[in-house]
Amino acid sequence: MPSDLDAQIEQLARCEYISEEQVKRLCLKAREILIEESNVQVVDAPVTICGDIHGQFYDMMELFKVGGTCPETNYIFMGDFVDRGFYSVETFLLLLALKVRYPDRITLIRGNHESRQITQVYGFYDECQRKYGSSNVWRWCCEVFDYLALGAIVDGRVFCVHGGLSPALEYIDTIRAIDRKQEVPHDGAMCDLLWSDPDDIMGWGLSPRGAGYLFGGDITKRFVHDNAIELIARAHQLAMEGYKLMFDQTIVTVWSAPNYCYRCGNVASILELDEHLGQEYKVFQHAPPDVRSVPLRRPPADYFL
Amino acid sequence: MHNMGYFEQTMDPGIGTDEIAPIALLMDELRSEDVQLRLNAIHRVSTIALALGPDRAREELIPFLQDSVDDEDEVLLALADELGKNFEEYVGGPEHAHVLLGPLENLSSVEETLVRDKAAESIAQVSIVLSQPQIEQYYIPLLERLSRGEWFTSRTSSAALYAPVYAKVSPTIQENLRKSFMALASDDTPMVRRAAAKWLGALIKDLSKQHVLSDGLTIYRRLQSDDQDSVRMLTVEDLVTIVQQLTSSEVHELLLKQIRQTTSDKSWRVRYMAATHFNELAEAVGVELVREELVGHFVQLLKDNEAEVRTAAAGQIPGFSKLLEKDVIVARIVPFVRDLCQDSSQHVRAALANQITGLAPLLGKEATIEHLLQLFLHLLKDEFPEVRLNIISKLEQVNEVIGIQLLAESLLPAIVELAEDKSWRVRQAIIEYIPLLATQLGRPFFDEQLANLCMSWLGDTVYSIREAAIINLKKLTEVFGVEWARTAIVPKVVNMGAHPNYLYRMTTVQAIGTIAPVLDLDIVRSEIMEALLHLATDSIPNIRFNVAKSMEVLSTSYGGTPDGKEFIQQKVVPVLEELKIDQDADVRYFATHALQRARTTLDG
Repeated sequence: MPSDLDAQIEQLARCEYISEEQVKRLCLKAREILIEESNVQVVDAPVTICGDIHGQFYDMMELFKVGGTCPETNYIFMGDFVDRGFYSVETFLLLLALKVRYPDRITLIRGNHESRQITQVYGFYDECQRKYGSSNVWRWCCEVFDYLALGAIVDGRVFCVHGGLSPALEYIDTIRAIDRKQEVPHDGAMCDLLWSDPDDIMGWGLSPRGAGYLFGGDITKRFVHDNAIELIARAHQLAMEGYKLMFDQTIVTVWSAPNYCYRCGNVASILELDEHLGQEYKVFQHAPPDVRSVPLRRPPADYFL
Repeated sequence: MHNMGYFEQTMDPGIGTDEIAPIALLMDELRSEDVQLRLNAIHRVSTIALALGPDRAREELIPFLQDSVDDEDEVLLALADELGKNFEEYVGGPEHAHVLLGPLENLSSVEETLVRDKAAESIAQVSIVLSQPQIEQYYIPLLERLSRGEWFTSRTSSAALYAPVYAKVSPTIQENLRKSFMALASDDTPMVRRAAAKWLGALIKDLSKQHVLSDGLTIYRRLQSDDQDSVRMLTVEDLVTIVQQLTSSEVHELLLKQIRQTTSDKSWRVRYMAATHFNELAEAVGVELVREELVGHFVQLLKDNEAEVRTAAAGQIPGFSKLLEKDVIVARIVPFVRDLCQDSSQHVRAALANQITGLAPLLGKEATIEHLLQLFLHLLKDEFPEVRLNIISKLEQVNEVIGIQLLAESLLPAIVELAEDKSWRVRQAIIEYIPLLATQLGRPFFDEQLANLCMSWLGDTVYSIREAAIINLKKLTEVFGVEWARTAIVPKVVNMGAHPNYLYRMTTVQAIGTIAPVLDLDIVRSEIMEALLHLATDSIPNIRFNVAKSMEVLSTSYGGTPDGKEFIQQKVVPVLEELKIDQDADVRYFATHALQRARTTLDG
């Protein structure tokens, strides 16, 4: 099995997608592993924390060049692997193959885009249809999404989640009681973890996204204090400088999709936690054009006409 | 939505179920709601034709395909493609190939450009196997219909279809073809004139010299003075083709005005095309005209108002300069190269940085030192990483001309500065350049100027740089020898293994795994093994399984000699046995793997 899987990982790392049958087996195997994981997966430092990827495959390879390869480096990916970019299939399947091959070296957390509803609107569904000619691969991937952890906690001190906090959850331990194996609901604690955003307000506010909440510095600091942690790491929002610390450095947004949607002009970052939980942000740029970050570039003649 | 009625009307009576199976299959799939299924069906159309046999393929399949042109563009595109892939084999060979023209003619009149282009390509493909009578009887009438079509779409497609058959038909027909191509070049619709401009070059290659001078030039001049710049820009390649057919004096006499107009066109898009194809043009006109005329035009393009034009022209600098004498390059080209180094657009400077080193072999050692070295230095310090990267990666060309010693002395300060560049790709380019510098500079100079730099890269924040730094140490060991490595590299690498940050310890482990094969057993045993044994008990599992990987390298590198075998048996195997029962699954996996390899070498 490792040699088969190693070959698939090599293939996916060249941005070539694997066969439908291989996807099916990979997804089954992944579910067996993920079902054993807790809603808030316990992770040891050192580990490198990454934010949204959104199918920008070649930029994720850039991330690995800066942060190191898996399994040499341990990783937590905080969700939103798919949608918007050109290579959601290759991106998610590579991460999933790494998860199956090295379950202790990489942790995948669910983002709000790891959902049947959202992927049908923002590209992953269409990409699966286009690349495989049917919706099977999309369906299997969505089943895996239902098993992904909702968060992770590094050495009991750094809490990782895709979106943010929920008024229904005061303690990290209460997250463990959620039955996570379902499509992302429209409201409630599970939804909030994947959808909420920190904001410069006091208390809780309505989210303009239509799901989750806005939460202020007071809420954040109370959560950090009550759970005896030092940092909340989350993704979900574009940070032009790659990361953004807020509320006296109790929460950070880590964003790992450089030049988001191939046009935002932002840099990306990853957060390296060393074995003593020392924090180092590694900022990186999008892949150079010669590695084909955008497919089918129009020839010059079309550009003129 | 689709016109699928054909078979239902004609196929029913008198045909057994076995015989209609392939067609029924095609019909079913072509009737599907799912575009993907219809596409799959089209891609299998040659199999269907094979199953039907040539007669029925001609009499039933082809007419059916001819009538089914109202599907989605994607399906039509696939059909146009399939019919161009030697499809005549399925309809009875070349003598029946003309039946394919029917469906392709329809496809070359549809609205979608991609479909029409593909259909025209396939028609040209079919024409290869047609005999002269077939061409005159079927192809030429088709060409006439398309050329006089009511809609511009068919007239546009027709332009591509003249060149493939021109050489194969009688002089009378040739004359007609020239006339109707002329009509396309004067068409009211710009799209048609654009197509004429695009395909004129291909046609001109088949015209006799006399007809190039008469009709060819007339058509070209008409298009070259078009009021649409999108037409004029396509004539640049025609110009190159025409010039290639003519002598220098004919060009001088007949085309100087057009060359001048094209390179100084009021539309920058035309000038951009001229700049992009400048070297092809220069090579075709001959040395004399290059000196008299083209140098002036080239200089104009180098100082064009539009950055895109300057970028394109900068890309042609060494290629064009090859056609000039050394003193002309210095007098006419170098001053503008100097200006371009200061250009306000980074794209221009990046294009220049990519090409400027190509001038060094043309200028020779002294002139390069005098005129170019300063410019290299300037570009090495450019504020845009791409500019710096382009010039660094081409410096090897300069070595060959002025020698590494001089290059290193004048550029070393800049190189040392770039070794700490913000962009890690620039740092990587410098690292990859180091072994070459080391070879040429020799050990004393290297130890003094670059050794510390090479060690500092091991602590870089970017993984790829640490990896490149390790490979660099291996290459340096190959250059300076094992004894040098023992004193200059090994102690520093080993010391990093006690660093409180695991990334440094990881670098030590990985460096040992990479460098060990080029050291010797004595160094491994006396200088390295202790550190590695210590790291085998590191608290971080990632370190421990990389120790296992490095141990595997030691086994395969040194297991060949009795001494080595003893060392592996006594030192390596016991550690791997320990790691094999580690609490971490990945450590156990890599240790087990390494142990197998170690045992194999011991047995061998």
